[in-house]
Amino acid sequence: MTIPVGPRIGALVLATTAFYGYVGQMVPQNEVQPPAEILIRADLTTPEMVEIGRDITTGKGLCRTCHTLGQTGALRFPDLDGVAVRAQSRVPGLSEVEYFAQSLYEPDRFIVPGFNPGMPTINRPPIGLTDQEILCVIAYLQSLGGTPTVTLQTAHPYYTPPAAAPPAPGTAPGEPPAQGAAPGAAPPAAAPPAPGAAPVVPPPQGTAPGTAPAPAAGTVTP
Amino acid sequence: MNGAMNRKLLFVLGPVTGVVMFVGVVMIATFLTNREYREPYRAPAAAVDATPRVAGLADERAEAETNARTKIYEEAEYRTFPVVGSRVAIWAVAQLHLLFAAFVLAVPLFAFIIEVIGYKTGDLRYDRLAHEFTRLLSVSFSLTATFGAFLTFMLIALYPKFTNYLMSVFSPTFLPYVLLFFAEAFFLYTYYYGWGKFHPRVHLALGLGLNLVGTAIMFIANAWLTFMMSPRGVSETGAVISVWDAVYNFTWMPINVHRVIANIAFGGSVAAAYAAFKFLTAESDEERAHYDWMGYIGNFVAISAFLPLPFAGYWLASEIYAYSQTLGLQMMGGAFSWLFIIQAVLIGNLFLAANYYLWLGMGRVEGVQPLQKFIKYLLIGIALCFMVWATPRSIIATVSEVRAMGGSAHPVLGFLGVMSAKNTAVNILILTTFMSFLLYRRTGKIAAVAWAKAGHAAQLAIFAGVAIFVIFLGVYGYFVEASVRIGLSVPQVTSVLFAMVSITAIDVFLFRGAKRTGEVRWGRIPAISQYVLIFIAVTFTWLMGLMGYVRSGLRQHWHVYGVIRDTSADAFTPTLGFATQVVSVTVLMFFVLIGVVFWITSLHERAEYRALVPSPEKVPHTGADMVLDGARLSAEPRGAD
Repeated sequence: MTIPVGPRIGALVLATTAFYGYVGQMVPQNEVQPPAEILIRADLTTPEMVEIGRDITTGKGLCRTCHTLGQTGALRFPDLDGVAVRAQSRVPGLSEVEYFAQSLYEPDRFIVPGFNPGMPTINRPPIGLTDQEILCVIAYLQSLGGTPTVTLQTAHPYYTPPAAAPPAPGTAPGEPPAQGAAPGAAPPAAAPPAPGAAPVVPPPQGTAPGTAPAPAAGTVTP
Repeated sequence: MNGAMNRKLLFVLGPVTGVVMFVGVVMIATFLTNREYREPYRAPAAAVDATPRVAGLADERAEAETNARTKIYEEAEYRTFPVVGSRVAIWAVAQLHLLFAAFVLAVPLFAFIIEVIGYKTGDLRYDRLAHEFTRLLSVSFSLTATFGAFLTFMLIALYPKFTNYLMSVFSPTFLPYVLLFFAEAFFLYTYYYGWGKFHPRVHLALGLGLNLVGTAIMFIANAWLTFMMSPRGVSETGAVISVWDAVYNFTWMPINVHRVIANIAFGGSVAAAYAAFKFLTAESDEERAHYDWMGYIGNFVAISAFLPLPFAGYWLASEIYAYSQTLGLQMMGGAFSWLFIIQAVLIGNLFLAANYYLWLGMGRVEGVQPLQKFIKYLLIGIALCFMVWATPRSIIATVSEVRAMGGSAHPVLGFLGVMSAKNTAVNILILTTFMSFLLYRRTGKIAAVAWAKAGHAAQLAIFAGVAIFVIFLGVYGYFVEASVRIGLSVPQVTSVLFAMVSITAIDVFLFRGAKRTGEVRWGRIPAISQYVLIFIAVTFTWLMGLMGYVRSGLRQHWHVYGVIRDTSADAFTPTLGFATQVVSVTVLMFFVLIGVVFWITSLHERAEYRALVPSPEKVPHTGADMVLDGARLSAEPRGAD
């Protein structure tokens, strides 16, 4: 019995689409939900901030889409393993917290040698993390090879907590608390930037406030 | 034989009858149980409302009227589509609209080129072929417009707030769009109905107008959808700053170019599928020869456009990266990375099928044997490239397997899953398919020019040199930093394009005035080749559906990336399995509809109805039958019995 051409063509079309549909079932099946709103309580401790920061880097922050953790080789973006150690001396004049803040708020100011610019501004859409969420991310980054010190009261050149105290004399902005300080103690805050002003360029350590910052070695300006 | 058949039939019918009887018994029992008499429920006397019924009804009416008068107007943000939900409904309608639109834009492009060839060469076969391609247009045009209107209404009904926003941004583009649509209708119908009615140059001018207007329409629509992916010209809150910037966003021009090329590839493949269908149902050798030729031309158009398509894809991807690295990495390394393994399977199949069709087609030409020995090497090359391209970087494995491998990447195969290897594989794949074309082109011919030997040597040197260069860059990519490695794809692509252009240029001059060793016998090709053409068309369509999904799905929970957030119940990104199911169903719907288009198109070949009935003189006149213009209105002529 000869099968007419019409059913043959129909069967071929059906079989082909079914085959490709089947291939689609063979790959990993992940349903990606929109990032959940993160509740950040005012009384979060630093270890809690680290946990929240970790969740943000894999979720709403999309950090782990580009950055690896513990991988070597020809990477497209810097690996985050041990980043806390490198951050302390990556840009001369910037403390660990200031460097992380600059990388998140103004990512194109410094590009790690060997890599291309590509990091989005984290506090603006589409990622749009809040200042408090960014502090949690910084706490998590500090935990990658270092000791987390930031709290929700930590100020840095891009953010001043609403009830921040004026900086203590002789303490650089963002400097971690002196040894012996009580865990979770708030580091001194920097002066808030003027409303609508461009993001403050963090001055190198030791520079007097108001002095124009000298370009840091290795800094790439957009 | 019949006895055995009857026993088989009884064997099948027995259980079927049993099941039917069981279902029947259950249905009858249910029917009877539902109609069994039961005592009516009576509320206890204490619970009965004392309000007289009429007064109660009047109160209810009054309350309803008051509620209706005081109801506050609220703008709906979303509405729900029954059963499948709003997103899938919009997805399917948009996909069908785009598939028909792609077909309607592509067919005039190559019909016009074929008509130009016919006009220049004076070969009427080309003119006939162009006309036959154009026949597919008018019904498809109506379907495109219908699905376009359907999509617009669905957007307004299901996503009113977002649609309102898009309209507020792009309202200045609507009037030009509508006017161009009128112009397209004018050009399309005058081009089709005016075939052979105007001076050839006037007709060609109509075809040119049709193509220009159609392309302009597509460019405007592309501005709307690319704005959703890479918005520009608006503030962070979405306020319009510059409409032109919103139109000329990062991905607008790459999508324009990519779509023009992809449309030609898709249109060519569907037209080839039409020819295949006609070939398979042809009743004479002459018809078979004509439709074999038509299928060959359609497939030639499809594959010729398909070869440069990955380069346009590179450009689009690089613009996506330039707009947002996050978006680019979501596409290639995030939620959608596995989609490109599915894409590799599709494109690998397309390359294999296209080459197989070409190799089958060599059988049409006498004296093909000297070239057929090369086919096995081409097949090995294609299979190897296909395997590399389909190798995932991370393998689906159990925890113990991951531990044994030392990570999710296989210690050996993992090296083939990175872009250096994949870029190399696809470039070699393109080169190999190009070589297949070249072999097909020269079947039955021997170069007769004095410099033939040098020409062949130059072609071989270019091909080998470029292949070695592409492989070298691929290997080199493993040893350099990311910033250097990303840039290596550009010389790979450029060198392959150089090879294709230079080898073709040499070939054209090399085979000018070539000696023929055998004629092309159109129609002398195995029937399976025609099913290959249909397979290619289905694969192209499915690929378009899949890539349409990744382009649109890439925004994830944003209607307009970074500007208007999707807060509907469908804001999540579905699994790839679900997406491929939607694509499969949409592709099937498209082929059912395109089957209707083919059927309607083929109606013009049918004998006219009045030719099927006896002429008025032969019908016995009874005074009751009405015969108008040869068409009989009664079912049977009275007295015929």
